Amino acid sequence: MSERILEVSDLNIEFHDHSLPETVVYDFDLTLHEGEIVGIVGESGSGKSMSAMAIAGLLSRHEIRKRGQILYDGRNLLDCDRDTLRRYQGEDIAVIFQEPMTSLDPVRRIGWQVEESVRLHHPEIPAERRREMALRNLADCGLADPEKVYRQYPSQLSGGMRQRVMIAAAMMGNPRILIADEPTTALDVLVQEQIIELLRRINRERGTAILFISHDLSLVRRLCSRVLVMREGRIVEAGPVEDIFNHPAEDYTRALIRAIPRVFSEKRGGEAEGEGTAAAAAPVLDVEHLDVFYQESGQGIGELFRRKRAEPVVKDISFSLRRGECLALVGGSGCGKSTLARAVAGLTRSYTGTVSRPGVQPQIIFQDPYNSLNPMHTVRWILEEPLRLTGEKNARVREKRILSMLEKVRLSPELLGRYPSQLSGGQRQRVCIGSALMQQPELLIADEPVSALDVTIQAEILELLGELRREMALSVLFISHDLRTVYQLCDTILVMEKGEIVERGAVDEVYRRPRSKYTKALLRAAGISS
Amino acid sequence: MVIDMTGILNWKTESGKTNWYLVLGTGITGFVLSLIFIGLLHPPYDIEAMDTAHKFAGGSLRHLFGTDNFGRDVFSRVLAGGFTTMKIAAGTVAVGLLGGVLIGAVTGYFGGLTDELLMRINDTLFAFPSVLLALVIVSLFGSGTSHVIWALGIAFVPSFARMVRSEFLRYKNSDFIAGAKLQGAGALRIMTHHILPNAAPVLMSSVMIGFNNAVLAEAGLSYLGIGVQPPEPSLGSMLSEAQSYLVSAPLYAAGPGLMIIFMVLGFSLLAEGMSREQLSGAWF
Amino acid sequence: MRYAARKIIMLVVTVLAISFVVFLAFSVIPGDPALTILGGQTDPARVEALREQMGLNAPLPVRYVRWLRSFLAGDFGMSYRYSVPVSRLLGEKIPITLILTLESFLFMLLISIPLGIYSARHAGGRADRALVILNQIIMAVPPFFSGILITFFFGMLLHWFVPGGYVSWRVSLSGCVGYLVFPAIAIALPKSAMVVSILRRSLLKEARLDYVRTAYSRGSRTNYVLYRHMLRNAMGPVVTFLGMAAADMVAGSIIIEQVFGIPGLGRALLTAIANRDYPVVEAIIVLISVLVVASGAAVDLICRRLDPRISLD
Repeated sequence: MSERILEVSDLNIEFHDHSLPETVVYDFDLTLHEGEIVGIVGESGSGKSMSAMAIAGLLSRHEIRKRGQILYDGRNLLDCDRDTLRRYQGEDIAVIFQEPMTSLDPVRRIGWQVEESVRLHHPEIPAERRREMALRNLADCGLADPEKVYRQYPSQLSGGMRQRVMIAAAMMGNPRILIADEPTTALDVLVQEQIIELLRRINRERGTAILFISHDLSLVRRLCSRVLVMREGRIVEAGPVEDIFNHPAEDYTRALIRAIPRVFSEKRGGEAEGEGTAAAAAPVLDVEHLDVFYQESGQGIGELFRRKRAEPVVKDISFSLRRGECLALVGGSGCGKSTLARAVAGLTRSYTGTVSRPGVQPQIIFQDPYNSLNPMHTVRWILEEPLRLTGEKNARVREKRILSMLEKVRLSPELLGRYPSQLSGGQRQRVCIGSALMQQPELLIADEPVSALDVTIQAEILELLGELRREMALSVLFISHDLRTVYQLCDTILVMEKGEIVERGAVDEVYRRPRSKYTKALLRAAGISS
Repeated sequence: MVIDMTGILNWKTESGKTNWYLVLGTGITGFVLSLIFIGLLHPPYDIEAMDTAHKFAGGSLRHLFGTDNFGRDVFSRVLAGGFTTMKIAAGTVAVGLLGGVLIGAVTGYFGGLTDELLMRINDTLFAFPSVLLALVIVSLFGSGTSHVIWALGIAFVPSFARMVRSEFLRYKNSDFIAGAKLQGAGALRIMTHHILPNAAPVLMSSVMIGFNNAVLAEAGLSYLGIGVQPPEPSLGSMLSEAQSYLVSAPLYAAGPGLMIIFMVLGFSLLAEGMSREQLSGAWF
Repeated sequence: MRYAARKIIMLVVTVLAISFVVFLAFSVIPGDPALTILGGQTDPARVEALREQMGLNAPLPVRYVRWLRSFLAGDFGMSYRYSVPVSRLLGEKIPITLILTLESFLFMLLISIPLGIYSARHAGGRADRALVILNQIIMAVPPFFSGILITFFFGMLLHWFVPGGYVSWRVSLSGCVGYLVFPAIAIALPKSAMVVSILRRSLLKEARLDYVRTAYSRGSRTNYVLYRHMLRNAMGPVVTFLGMAAADMVAGSIIIEQVFGIPGLGRALLTAIANRDYPVVEAIIVLISVLVVASGAAVDLICRRLDPRISLD
């Protein structure tokens, strides 16, 4: 076995900024060998990022106490003073973060930022050589025009490009350890795949050991050789990835693995009523030749005189959705799927073509449950508002219907007096669903309803949607980038790329015999192969 | 309109520490208001009673801040002047708030050309010092209490409008507003029931800042002699008078000066305490 | 460059709009300027003759254009009160107010920027907490009261300057600047306190952002992160405030001139208002507006230089 380069033992992290000290990581142990990729998996609040940041020496606020040992280069990093620690940071141990959008300084040019660690650690290297190094690293990280990127500012780059820049900057000092804290979570599926490939290549070509932190078990499986599973600050299970996947020892690990939606092997959730009835039922939504245009938000006086020559975001789309059917709309970010949803629901009027939706106004469930509930109102008010808006005057009737809805979305009536900030992510999304169903719509549009949630919560919400669909004979337009969740819930699928539909059909059919290149790439990125 | 004050008056910060800004601000403002109230009901001396035998008396238990050039009790006059200032500040903030909320809500929510034009005007006025604007208005229409209220109130509209507009802009495209639209809420209901409660914390905080600025502006105008006119007692004109007798009666200036400072300090602490973000040292 | 051109056009339009509103306001107020000049003389023929001579009988737009044309040529009209050209009346006073405002602006920058950085750098420490309290108190002291306090302590008790002993800039520029030190401090104090707290808050906000963590992860010292990364990002709100403060300081000087007995624009404005000497009032207000609008434009340009995101949009 190759050399051990990092040994963490009995790491405990406590927060002291509240009145009671709060332990966020208990007895964390980790050994990292030269050139190895180790994953740390857990849900939010599991302490995975905290442990990684402690190793990177980035938890130095005085209200954070750390105990234990982080052994690197024969020293315990926890005992080192700031100056010694600084010698390792960026030079031996480099970090890339989750949010490439905010992790770069917005007012400095890319080149300046990429060169930063060399400037700090090797001031003797002349500027010209520093520039060469930066350009080589940028090119090496897959940026097509490094000269141009070198001069640009972060806001001029896409998310994927920024993450490549972050990696290029991290690799400037040829670090022995690269800590990657959820580096692909904020990125599009296909871009995510490219970044993973880049990390794999860096590991292979330069022998950099990688500590890969993620909430996504299937991603870890594809990249790492060993994995640590964390929950509520403790390591639940650790070992070689395949062993843990095939023979999980702990209940929690099993629950995590079960929460990954399975494709092909399992009976799907929504098919209670059989295909025949769905096909014969009346349409609840009929869309013909729909073009949706982007609404300019920043209008100036000058806008008045400028010719409006808007490009459609959604181009010539036709489909219909029948009662009881669940239709998936799949595509990468910016493909126009959310714009389409807003047009279908009637939130935007800048479209041409026809959208007919007989019956009650459809409702939307949004992606981010933190932004889709009014923070200044209680759960009761939020659930009551749709009834007041339909003109239900009788307070007792309203109360009765609220209680029955709570039961449907599996929430306790105790939560009625709470504000959204006092609820967990899963509870919030249940309140959103309840509020959306209050006016008894026939069509529910779910715009990435689970992608902001933890994996185990995702599974619960998907299950709830499946049940509600059956109970209330609901039609669902399910928008997602995740082909795995789609398989579990939906009957038919539309795949969108750059505003156009590139593939449509029954879910099983499309997954087994994809025709378009884009669908195939998406399936590959999701790790589904037929 | 549903506004929940519990969301605004946080006596503890998120990390469980006492919100000293709010505690002190409430204490000081409460103290000043009760002084003014006492002065209104039971003034220690008649504010008009002249006692030429006791001109420029020094501070004593009988006359806390001494007497002025006519032998009137400074402390009693300070309390009465405080009431005048508070009255004008309240009127000013009411005018500014009403105009600002109306303009800000409509322009922020509907946007478009009206918004563009109104905001251009608004921003120019906003940059224009409010004392100067008030000066112009007073010079056009004359001085006096009600003119000062209108002048300062109009001068305050732009800052309120700007603040309300930015809050409305912040929320109008959020998902929960889209949800409310889908459930059939009209523009008026969305503005009053869905967005305004969210703007309330910022609004309350800027009301306090408004009081703060109004007190300063009124005192300034009266100091210049174009605000409140005698015989109505006012802190600003007392200060201007006291300045002439700085050598013989330095205490005379201290009375109205301290009153202004306590008023402004109280309101600015309240404003600080109500604004949500309490920043502590991080990261260093 | 196209941006700068657009900005200048906007600037000119704004100033024109303001000048029109001011002109309109002073044209519609009751009171006949001809009557004011003649001082109670009521011979209708003479009043009418003077009205004709002053061009008051022409329609409003014509009068505005005439007024504007002469204004641009530096002719601000005749003072009703003193019957001398307004430009001669104000020529003496403009430099005084300008020196006072510049001096106080300079003081504000010198006091507040270092203190703001220090306060944020040592946030939560003893010095920072003391500064935060001191700041709150200083913000609450109106400039004319601190002016009175300064006059009392430094003028009357310590005799560091002679209250009311203004030195004209024509006599001695350095003497004038020296005399204006104390008034300038009185104007600068509350504004400095505000800049300190804005800069402190802005820096502490920046400190929580991800890019700061990135900079630390590369092995930067705190001072490096502070001066090379955060400061420029944090200057946005400060610069915006400075623009408003500049305008506010002109207004503040009006009051402070009264406290210290300085014969600047502010006192001229007050006298003119008291005398209903409208050409003088008009001229001063338009001059100050130009200053306000120009400082706004300057802020805008500085913000663009500081933050590339604005100009890239």
